[in-house]
Order: sequence, then C-alpha cells, then structure tokens
Amino acid sequence: MDQSGEFTPNLSTNPLLSVEDLRLHFRTGRGVVQAVDGVTFSLDQNQTVVVIGESGCGKSSLMRAILRLLPRNVNTYSGRVLLDGVDIMEHSDERFRQEIRWVKTSFVPQAAMNSLNPVVRVGEQVAEPLIVHKLSKSKAEALGKAEEAFRLVGIPTDFLNRYPFELSGGMRQRVATAMALITQPRLVILDEPTSALDVLTQANMMNLFKRLKRDIGAGFILITHDIATSSEVADQVAVMYAGQVVEFSQAKEFFREPLHPYAKGLMASVPALKGNQRLDFVPGQPPSLVDPPSGCRFADRCPARFAKCDQEPPTFNADSGREVKCWLYQDVQPAQAPPVHPA
Amino acid sequence: MSSRTATHYRASQEALLQIDNLRTWFELRRLGFIHVGHVRAVDGVDFQLHRGEAVAIVGESGCGKSTFAKSILGVNRPTDGEIRFAGRPIRDVRDMRWYRRQVGFVQQDPYGALPPFMNVRRILEEPLIINGVKQSKERDERLRQALSDVKLTPVEEYLSQYPHMLSGGQQQRLVIARAIILRPQLIVADEPVSMLDASVRIEILELLRRLQEMYNLSIIYITHDLSTVRYFAHRICVMYGGKIVEESDVDTLVNAPRHPYSKALLAAIPDPDPDNVDTLREVPPGEPPSLLNPPSGCRFHPRCDAAIKGLCDVQEPPTFSPDRSTRVACWLYQDESNQRIAGGSSSP
Repeated sequence: MDQSGEFTPNLSTNPLLSVEDLRLHFRTGRGVVQAVDGVTFSLDQNQTVVVIGESGCGKSSLMRAILRLLPRNVNTYSGRVLLDGVDIMEHSDERFRQEIRWVKTSFVPQAAMNSLNPVVRVGEQVAEPLIVHKLSKSKAEALGKAEEAFRLVGIPTDFLNRYPFELSGGMRQRVATAMALITQPRLVILDEPTSALDVLTQANMMNLFKRLKRDIGAGFILITHDIATSSEVADQVAVMYAGQVVEFSQAKEFFREPLHPYAKGLMASVPALKGNQRLDFVPGQPPSLVDPPSGCRFADRCPARFAKCDQEPPTFNADSGREVKCWLYQDVQPAQAPPVHPA
Repeated sequence: MSSRTATHYRASQEALLQIDNLRTWFELRRLGFIHVGHVRAVDGVDFQLHRGEAVAIVGESGCGKSTFAKSILGVNRPTDGEIRFAGRPIRDVRDMRWYRRQVGFVQQDPYGALPPFMNVRRILEEPLIINGVKQSKERDERLRQALSDVKLTPVEEYLSQYPHMLSGGQQQRLVIARAIILRPQLIVADEPVSMLDASVRIEILELLRRLQEMYNLSIIYITHDLSTVRYFAHRICVMYGGKIVEESDVDTLVNAPRHPYSKALLAAIPDPDPDNVDTLREVPPGEPPSLLNPPSGCRFHPRCDAAIKGLCDVQEPPTFSPDRSTRVACWLYQDESNQRIAGGSSSP
C-alpha cells in the first residue's frame, strides 16, 4: 500500500481512523435531511468506540458515510475520513471498492442473521470476500480460511456446508461476523449486532467481541441503542443526537458520569437490574433533521437550557480529554471549536 | 402431580384468570398430511392472575411465551387445559365473545399492529362499533377519554392523523388506547417496548403502570428483557422450553433466583458499568431445547451445571415451593420444600 510514502502528520499519534467534519445529507421530498452533520472523532488501533443514539439520530448513516455505502439521493457528502493516515474520501469509487471496502474495513449489518444468502452454503458465503477481492489463490484456500474464521468466532467447522436456515439466530450472527473478519480488516463496523438476539445469545456474542478485541488488532465501531450492552465492549463512547456527536468520552468516565444533558437523560432511562435508582426519561422528541433548529439541537428538550443555547455550541474539551458539544462546559477549559488535528 | 403446592399463594383473593395445565401444541406435517410430530410450544402451564396484578412472563425466543399469550387471548386454541376468567370457563364461541371484550392486547410492533389506511379516530372507533356501542356521541366520548388516558393530547390534533404520521412512542400509545377502549379487566402486552428507543421505553412502561393503577387492571407483561420487569411487574414467571420453571416475587427473583436457568438469565444481563469490559460473562452452553422433541426429564438438564445424574435427566421435576411466594420446577429444591411443608403451612 502507498500510505508509507505520504507525509501525514497524524501518523505520529497514529489513530487508526480519524473522521473529521463528516457530513452526509440526503435529498428527500420534504427537503434535505442532515443525517450526519459535522461528525468528528478518532479511533485508535485495538480500541472500540461505541456510537450510542436513538433511532433516527444518524448513527447508521454515519456507518454508511464511513464505508461509502451510499444510496442514490445523496445531497452532500463531505469531510475527511483518514484510515491509517490516508484520506479515503479522496479515493475513486472503484479504488475504494478494491482497496478499502471489505479489505481494510468491513461491517456486520443490522439484523445480520437475515442478511445471509439463503441458497448458498455459509462456508462459501464467508469465503466470498476473499475470492471477490482475489486475496486467495484458490477457492480451496479461501474455504480453508473460512474454516479458520469459523473457529475464531466459535462455530463448529462442520457447519461450513450448511445453509443459513439450518442455523439458529446466534449462529447466523456469528457467520456474519466471521464474514466481516475473514479479510483481516483494520476496522470493523458492527451495526446493532445483538439487538435481534436473545439475552443469553447476546451475552455470548459480547463475550465473543471481547475475545476478538483482544486477539485481533483491529479497531471496532459498535453502533447501538442498547447502553447497558454497549458498556461490555466500549473503550470510548460517542453519543449522537440529531446527526451530531454531542459527547465523546472514555467509557470508564462516561458510564460513571455522562456530561452532556442528553447523555445524562439517556443514562437515567436505562433500567438497571440491580440497584434501585429512579428511572427518568427525556421528554419530547428529537428535532426533524430536515430543518434542524439553528442553535443547540437538544435545547428544546434540555432541562439545563439557558440563553446561550440559541447559538450552536462548539465542541468543548472538558477534563480528561472528554469532548462535549454543550455551552455548559465552555468554562471548564478554553474552547477549541471544533477540535482539529494539526493540519 | 404436586404442581399445585402453591395455590395458597394469595388464596384469599379470587383469581381473575385461572389457567390449569394448559397445553398448546402445533401439529407438524410433511407434504401436508404425513404426521411428523407436535411442537409443544406450551406444555402444561398452571397460572393464576389476580385483579390488579401485573405479572411478567420472561423467557428467550422460542420458549413459548408468545404462544402462551396467544392462548390466553384465544388466538391459538389450546390443545388441552382450561382457562377460566372471573370464574367462568372459556369453552364455546359465546364464552369467547364475552371473554374477548374483557381482554386487551398490546402488540410488540406498533406500526405493524395499526392499519396504515385508517386514521386515529377510525382505529379507536372500530372496536366500539364491533362491540355494539351504537351512539356515535358515546363512541366519540370514549375515544377521547382513551386518547387522553394515554396522553395523546391535545386529542383534537391526533384524531385525523394516520399511523405513519406518529412517532414510534405515539404509535404504541395509540395501540394501548385501542387496547383499553373497551374497558377490559386484563391487558396482555407482548414485548410492548422492545421496538422502541431506550428513552421512550420507560415512558411507555410508566404509562402502562399508571393505567393499571387507575383502572385496577391486571396485566400480563411478556418480555425477554428482565431489566424492565422490575419497574413494572409484581410477579415474574420464567419460561423455558414451554414450561414455567420459576415463579416468584420480582424482588425475590432478581436478588435470589433459584432455578439454574433463572440464575443464568440474570447473570447474562449487563448493567451499564465500565468494568464490564474486563470480564467475560458466564453463559450456559448449548441452545434452547427443541420443542418438537424436548429432552427427557428436566428440559434444562443438558445445559445445567447442577444437574443430578439419574434424576434430572430421567424424571421431570414437579413444582416445589421453597417459600410462600416462590414456585420452582427443579429437583434441587425438593428437600427444602418438603421441610417447609412439614414445618407447618401444608395444605392439601
């Protein structure tokens, strides 16, 4: 690959993925939907960032924007996505397909267990990325690697010759995960990987992700609305609201005390099995992304609203490297908006 | 069978819903006529529900909890067993017509449960028309009342809207309004919040709880999510392989589960805690049993680490009552239960 020849200042700090001011807007009959609107975050190797948010907040669009899996009605698609220091937004579609998608990045789609081809044996399906991208010399070699991938995700290897309908939901989810890992990507994006699974299966999958995180040197982005489950694998947490990242924190601090008022409301609405805290919910509804409010997008639902919230808050750096898009934190540290990497 | 050892539980109150030995089996055929076997979705369930009580039925998918709900609703015809509602056995069509008016159903997927071509007014009016509320003025009053009960206010604004114009939470409120509009005594809610966002879930559960208190409703809350149960139900039944394996007060079950399956289920649920990252969860090996050909003896024994050889894999455990409010179908509790019965509170 050619990134070694380029002079990228980011290489010194070496984030695996760095997303800067990413925007993805869609044209619809009602106007332009600002699904992803100026998202900035970075992810180091071997780390997992969890993207939390309610449905319609743009978290799946963020995944699409990073993987460039775009529908036809794209209006704006801009920003920088640096993978190992290379701006993959600059790549042509063909180059992106050949070098990035499912080579250096891969993903496990939502309800992955239903995304398998029902008439192809699962072993062949898992081997397919290797064959399509010519990463294996022969089909036999690809199938051999598929067997390895099966072992990695904990599926008995005699399942290679089965069809998807012969497997349970949890097993199919593992197959989809094996498919995402087979090319040994640098970055794996998981979109709601456990939301359709049972409690025990979910715990099993989370154990699997924990092991994978330890064993393969990839970065993971986990998109979910399930906060309790996300705490199982998160190193960092990005909270999305109305197309923007409103808080980006280390998981250790976030789960103890979220900073952004929306994140606080979200955490208060998570029922805990043990402990007896009172539950609360965030009243109201997220704003329309067609014509979002000009100030802070959460202001209408925010219990801590004050005059300044009519202007859009920049991203402030709170203590220990936490980034919050909220005026309440303007005094904590000198503002720097948005936090830019040295260019 | 000594499966009725705990009928003295709240025996002072008359049960609103009394279910004895309910079985709902589905026949499986090949090519349409060759009998293959039965899927024993619900296999011998005893269940009681009192007026104003909220009971949660918890289990994984395929454990029969939805079939159980549908059997209670009269959607699936039970293969065996009896359902009595307010003392009246539900046997023929006339019983069923009367019974259906007493029971409301809150579906899992609100969008799928609402007809897309009807507006809110028609959706709510339909059950009233079917059940013979003839005066349109009365219908109007009742549907307005139902809408304000579920906090879809101002009512006027919603009446002419169609389901797709509402958010997920509002749709579920509408489904609840439809379920209560006939003023039923019992609500069956099948995963009412699993399709909703985290921040809305609590809102809907609180709404259900308020309605329950307001109208002294009985609620059967079916879910796979144990963590929401605490905020809602008084009692939990844990289902596994078509049977209720443990039934207990919410606090007892959450703090001191008895059945090994209940223990596994509780251990698998994370609370939001950053320390989760460092530990693996213990999950029993294997998969839920086939209901077509369930394992002999206790249905959990192939996955159970406390299984007693020669007992659990041979003989099906009856229901034991280690304390007054708990019934557990597990051989581990046979001694405890005998002692307790010998100790005093025994009743035939």
